[in-house]
Amino acid sequence: MDVLRVEDVSKSFRGDMSFRSREVLHGVSFSVGVGEILGFLGPNGAGKTTTIKIILGLLRPDGGHVEIFGNLISDRSVMSHVGFLPETPYFFPHLSLREFLSFCGRMSGMHGGPLPGRIEQVAAMVGLQGRLGQRLKGFSKGMIQRAGLAQAILHDPELLILDEPFSGLDPLGRIMVRDILVDLRARGKTIFFSSHILPDMEVLCNRTCIIRDGRIVRTVSLDELIRMGGGAVEVTARGCSETCFEKIDRYIESKTISGEEVFLVVGEQRNVREVIRHISASDAEIIRVASQHLSLENIFLNEVKPPAIPEVMRSNREKPTPVRS
Amino acid sequence: MTKVYSIALNTFRESIRQKLLCVSLVFGGIFLASTYVLSPLAVGAREKIMTDVGLAAISILGVLTAVLVGSTLVHKEVEKRAVFMVLTRPVPRYQYLLGKFAGIVAAIVLMITVMAGLMAATVALGRGFLRPAMFAAVYLSTLEVAVICAVVIFFSTFTTPILTSFFTLCLFAAGSLSNDLRVFAEKFGGSFMKIAMEVFYYILPNLRVFNLRHEAVHDLHFSISDLFMATVYAAAYCSVLLFFAHLVFRRREFS
Repeated sequence: MDVLRVEDVSKSFRGDMSFRSREVLHGVSFSVGVGEILGFLGPNGAGKTTTIKIILGLLRPDGGHVEIFGNLISDRSVMSHVGFLPETPYFFPHLSLREFLSFCGRMSGMHGGPLPGRIEQVAAMVGLQGRLGQRLKGFSKGMIQRAGLAQAILHDPELLILDEPFSGLDPLGRIMVRDILVDLRARGKTIFFSSHILPDMEVLCNRTCIIRDGRIVRTVSLDELIRMGGGAVEVTARGCSETCFEKIDRYIESKTISGEEVFLVVGEQRNVREVIRHISASDAEIIRVASQHLSLENIFLNEVKPPAIPEVMRSNREKPTPVRS
Repeated sequence: MTKVYSIALNTFRESIRQKLLCVSLVFGGIFLASTYVLSPLAVGAREKIMTDVGLAAISILGVLTAVLVGSTLVHKEVEKRAVFMVLTRPVPRYQYLLGKFAGIVAAIVLMITVMAGLMAATVALGRGFLRPAMFAAVYLSTLEVAVICAVVIFFSTFTTPILTSFFTLCLFAAGSLSNDLRVFAEKFGGSFMKIAMEVFYYILPNLRVFNLRHEAVHDLHFSISDLFMATVYAAAYCSVLLFFAHLVFRRREFS
């Protein structure tokens, strides 16, 4: 059964002073299965946040429908199984983190007994265990993001919907959030999140939906991503001699030399053994062997054509640097 | 009910931690203290002056604080999207409105209680008597403020804080004068004016029923049944306003 099903959803907005409406979603459809992490990728203004708001019932679709665990979202009881982290969250600044999490827990139907213990637990998970008594108005952007994640996972929901969960986090914070998401996936939770940080999405997601101009233009699975690489393997070695290069030349597709190191791309998996054997036979050292695959960034850029650099900027960039006499 | 209570508690905390409520309370305290200092000038009417000014201060400051606190609370939560923390959970929207209403009323009741205590202390210090009518008047002021809070919640579901404050204060003025306007129209107005005033009289909140200041100041008799009817009237008026607020809010989108 699908945990989340978005079926042919469309949405348009009317401007404040205009009678003309602008359609921002055109028949968006996708689904997320049990225990899956689905990434939602798209440029700014593509319709990611609008889709998330429709899923959560904050906006009404003009057409189509959304089901969570097989129930329409008009049945609000289903939301007790959903955790949500908004983009650029703003919480109640007058509350301490403990009061805020307690409030969120009660809103999700948690009561008395286990709630204080659970608050301590999630605060420790997001690295805010020492801040429970501090008011949220004194929190930095990164701490607010962590508090947001804490409230999203507080009631142990089956489905997590995260809008830009890595936004505002430092590298350590990013790693921490990534680890939490990996842990949640291991525990069978279903996660649907939007992000601009492609490497994180590539590491975390089973599938990625790419949205552009309110339309789903492509859905890429992790397996598909790996297959797209065509089976090429990257070999990095140090101290290869000319004789060694002569022996491996027929097996490799490309060769890039940088100082003592050489970066080789071997086109077919079956030739890798030969390349490694020849390098090992010489006095050279193998530093790294890795399977090459097409990155999500390549696919994203291919689907969402980046805007052309304006002519003025291009001419400035191409202008030679003046030489002082 | 647990969720309504939690929302109300959160709103109450937010209200009492705002500077506005403290400023109102300090201002009210200064006002009441000034009646103690200045009332000896009214020879023989010291107690009446202190009671009259004290009750007026409680009523006016209560209404003004309700308007200023209430008009910003809901709007700010919607504008800053803190409302998502409630509406994306299994909480019906009417419970959110009920919680907000209860929280704001609770904060204003706390303020009125403190001011009533100060007023009672001022009267006692001036060697006056604390009469039951005085407390009945404070109770009715509390009901009046509850009605004003419901008006504020209703307007804040669809308009900005400035317009909410403006509409509510207009309604407060009209509600305080609706009886007089009706009598005026009956005596001097044409048939259209009479009908219009009759309609306004029944639509607008009749805030005169919450005014017991005259009885409290002059130590006149008041009936318990009047208090009971005023309570029922306030409850009914608040319920209707919150119902209409719910009708607006349940259709509202949060873009």
